Amino acid sequence: MAIEKEGLSTAESLRKTRTYGKFRCHNPTCMERIQPEKGKKTAKCPTCGMEYRVHWVNPNLPRIRGPVWDVNRKLAEAKLKEMGVK
Amino acid sequence: MPLDRKIAYIDLTTGDIQIKPIPLDVRKKFLGGRGLDAYLLYNHTEKGCDPLSPKNTLMISGGILTATCASATARTHVMAKSPLTGLLGSANMGGFFAPEMAWAGFHHLVIKGKAKHPVYIYIHNGEIEIRDARDIWGKSITDSQWALREDLGDQEVKSLVCGPAGENLVRFANVMTGIKNAGGRSGMGCVMGSKNLKAVSVRGTMDIKIARPKEALEYNKRFIDQIVSAKVNQTQGALGTPFIWGATNSWGGIRCRNFQYNQCEYADDIEPERIDEICEETMGPYHMTGCFGCQVHCRAQYKIPEGPYAGVYDEGPEYTSQGAFGGETDTPRAVTVLTGNHLVDKFGMDNLETGSLISWAMELYELGIITSKETDGLDLRFGNDDAVIEMIDRICYRKGWLGDTLADGGIPASEKIGKNSFDYLIQVKGMSNLHSDERATPGLALNIATGSRGSDHLRSRPAIDLYHLPEEVLRKIYGNPVPYDGPLSSEHTEYIGKPWQVFWQENCYMGVDCLGICKYHTTFLGATLPNFEDWSKVILYNTGLEMTPEEIWDVAVRCNMIERLFNLREGLTREDLKKGDMLNHRYFDEPCRRGAIDVVGKKIDKEKFIKMVDEFYEHKGLDKNGVPTPERLKKLGLDKEPSHLM
Repeated sequence: MAIEKEGLSTAESLRKTRTYGKFRCHNPTCMERIQPEKGKKTAKCPTCGMEYRVHWVNPNLPRIRGPVWDVNRKLAEAKLKEMGVK
Repeated sequence: MPLDRKIAYIDLTTGDIQIKPIPLDVRKKFLGGRGLDAYLLYNHTEKGCDPLSPKNTLMISGGILTATCASATARTHVMAKSPLTGLLGSANMGGFFAPEMAWAGFHHLVIKGKAKHPVYIYIHNGEIEIRDARDIWGKSITDSQWALREDLGDQEVKSLVCGPAGENLVRFANVMTGIKNAGGRSGMGCVMGSKNLKAVSVRGTMDIKIARPKEALEYNKRFIDQIVSAKVNQTQGALGTPFIWGATNSWGGIRCRNFQYNQCEYADDIEPERIDEICEETMGPYHMTGCFGCQVHCRAQYKIPEGPYAGVYDEGPEYTSQGAFGGETDTPRAVTVLTGNHLVDKFGMDNLETGSLISWAMELYELGIITSKETDGLDLRFGNDDAVIEMIDRICYRKGWLGDTLADGGIPASEKIGKNSFDYLIQVKGMSNLHSDERATPGLALNIATGSRGSDHLRSRPAIDLYHLPEEVLRKIYGNPVPYDGPLSSEHTEYIGKPWQVFWQENCYMGVDCLGICKYHTTFLGATLPNFEDWSKVILYNTGLEMTPEEIWDVAVRCNMIERLFNLREGLTREDLKKGDMLNHRYFDEPCRRGAIDVVGKKIDKEKFIKMVDEFYEHKGLDKNGVPTPERLKKLGLDKEPSHLM
């Protein structure tokens, strides 16, 4: 079959760039890769200090469920104060 | 062969029906689905026609790959002049309708005129008839579909219907198939209602001959492997599309309280994980289902757990309902989201437009721009769950002053309400924004400002830019199939490079809409998912049509251009806040107040935004006013439009 001799398409070739067991910090100018401890329900970004609640889609696929709300609010209000936004 | 599927021209005024083949040269220029619909709309709709008049033309189609061995060719496309915006109307939905229509012999329908009384169109193995629908008029979306099956004596009939909202000429009424597959933007259900067209029912058993079946199946195996191994699709298969809202809310990219906040805090009860728990509690562990030929299975099934609608079954909610009935209205409670989702499914009404207009009205109410006089006593403050549910019903049935006013859409409503109400309306070209907030993401802001059907996340959104992809990966994606060596940026608060990224996505989204494939199977949310190069092979193996990736790109550019030509003809001008490529002033004036640390304080820099639009226009071949240059039109073969080839 001709198809078997074909190489990978660009999309297929990018598959090797996928990472598992990690997610990126949601802070846009940080985007640090965070690797939560397996099964753990929270994770903190070592670079910017954002704290997240973690959901495990499967044992190898963690995702950020959302921020730890109280920490998120505190950081946002401090930033607004620093910027002088009322 | 897929290419032998026909086009039918149906005149509801005269009852005349003409069936014709689709010429190969037209296929090569527009492929099918949305692209060919755009050509047909431009050629068959008179300039300036009233969208609710018999002169408006309604197109219904599948893509060139519909019902072949390709993956997820489930999408049905619907197009007409929009009664919501007065510009391009276009909506796309999953389910099983388009494949059934292809098996019945058709890829495209062009429907004109207005029937004397409610009718439906029945298509069966190459035959078309117009039948009486007076007994079905007034029924809900699902009740209509069951009634049509009963009327036709065939449980396998698939129907595309409008609901009570379409009949009542709510300007953002959906067309729907199944219980929740919604062609949900720009009011295509309203166009059906205006034509007295309750439904199109299809049933087909005509085989589709695959050009190279063995290669088609083998390539599809590779395609599927690429799809199901992607993290984004594994997540969607477990949590459905609500994961998108959850992720976006996490960093502060959604609208809350209309546009006052960019994050709905303490929204745990409507996060995808909680919705999934409710689905499991009410439907059991295997509660995810899918559309025709799809392996992702992103659609959840649920029963409303409590309240007046307790025990009622529905599907979803999509991320759009979380935003519409949870975040925007600041009612982050699962029962409200699930009930609101059910009601818009039942009525056939766009959840995005409905939720956006309710949250806009809530802000106007809190500001005193409207009062309890206009709400007929309803307490329309943010956070009032009962008011959200009540307003959905009022809009569908045009009950009370406010329900009737909002049913006409945001811009007419702002003109009726007066004062400075328009300043608070978050829309582009007359269509409300998705529940998202793009103040921290200039690329996404450019996308919604320039989307052909109005503020839109499904026409050109560079969503993968949120993944902070390495530049070498971005270059591989955005440098194919046509070379590009200009700037690119994976920083989503950046302006540089975004015009090309939006332009590339605009063509990728058009490509997938011409093929009839779901966007979750391309470079919409997954950076490693198939696009032009893969499609070239899929088209060849399934249809026998030889098209290089570059030629498919050219088709997409051409189809996007003809949508632009239509909008220009109907009054689009660049900086018009009501009909242009421009954002509400709040994007430029009000900073984000919540979200991740570096999102807080962000707003769009107007000067940089205007430069982005300039550059985007250059990529598209438009001048500074957003009008195509004669050279680009000639290059695309559109210099003699309308050409009336069909």
